[in-house]
Amino acid sequence: MVQTRKLKDGSRQVILNSTQYEGITRVLSELANKTKASAILFADMSGQLISQRGNTDNMNTTVLSALAASDFAATSEMAKLVGEEAKFKLLFHEGEKRNVYLSNVGEAFFLVVVFDVSVTLGLIRIYTKKAIEDLNGILDDDSNAPAEDEKLIDSDFSSLLGDALDDTFK
Amino acid sequence: MFINWALQEINLKIVYYGPGMSGKTTNLEYIHSKLDPSLTGDLVSLKTKEDRTIFFDFMQIEVGKIKGKKPKFNLYTVPGQVYYASSRKVILNGVDGIVFVADSQPHRMEANIETLLDLESNLKADGQSLESFPWAIQYNKRDLPGVESLDVLQKRLNFFNVPSFEGVAVKGDGVFSTLKSVINLVVQNVQNQL
Repeated sequence: MVQTRKLKDGSRQVILNSTQYEGITRVLSELANKTKASAILFADMSGQLISQRGNTDNMNTTVLSALAASDFAATSEMAKLVGEEAKFKLLFHEGEKRNVYLSNVGEAFFLVVVFDVSVTLGLIRIYTKKAIEDLNGILDDDSNAPAEDEKLIDSDFSSLLGDALDDTFK
Repeated sequence: MFINWALQEINLKIVYYGPGMSGKTTNLEYIHSKLDPSLTGDLVSLKTKEDRTIFFDFMQIEVGKIKGKKPKFNLYTVPGQVYYASSRKVILNGVDGIVFVADSQPHRMEANIETLLDLESNLKADGQSLESFPWAIQYNKRDLPGVESLDVLQKRLNFFNVPSFEGVAVKGDGVFSTLKSVINLVVQNVQNQL
């Protein structure tokens, strides 16, 4: 499983190890190759972008992830109002040039596939379904998790960060 | 907090909370206008025609590498109006630190208190509480005539004695000190627990 721990203050920490990150990126690359999608994003439900593939140079994918997460949140409220007990599993936005296909990956993550209207939706659906199975497998598997007991944040780090913030906020 | 070991990234989510029209979006707009464009992305605002935040504002800040790690700060605001309760709840998903932007005008005191209670109940729903969560208060609009005294604001709003700042967000007063204080609280907090 992706390592998730709850800190004493109640906030949540999600930790992705290198093997999982590489695995996720590999699945996204395969999906991009097979579907000819313009861009593929993998993110978590808090709006945090995790990995991306495809032609994303001119796309603000950080913002796109934040908006996509809110899209899921808004439609899950919609689901309640119309008497659907579970959340909607996938969302589809149809445009004149481009479409966006969003699908959840487990409870905590989702996939965004941006593709030209020339690509058929059926193709996207089939390959995305397969990619989601692979992603779930990767997220569930922690057998390769390296022992990353290195202290992520020590006192040195906080004082250096303080300096960097002073510098940035001048 | 989201940690990506492969990229050595540490992502923090900071949410600006407060009653309608207290200056949450103004805080973000000021930060965005002052930072080096290479360190900050676009400021995205989902607003109504009347310029009120309907869902959220969002921007990301980077400060370069620190000991090989890349900290990134994702700043969000929530819509202040009472009827956007469910979008406030959604934006708190995965939050690491909160800036509460209070309106210093006496007639907004009740709105400040009501919003703090709303925040507490949203945190509670996720097993958190203002008592232990990293947050700070900014008493905004200090330049307006007839604002409430700091003493009264502190007594009525700062019941957990968290760091507090006077602000005039339109001019930038108190904006960076508030943000820095919350980031410090979050980092200290993580440091103490790893």
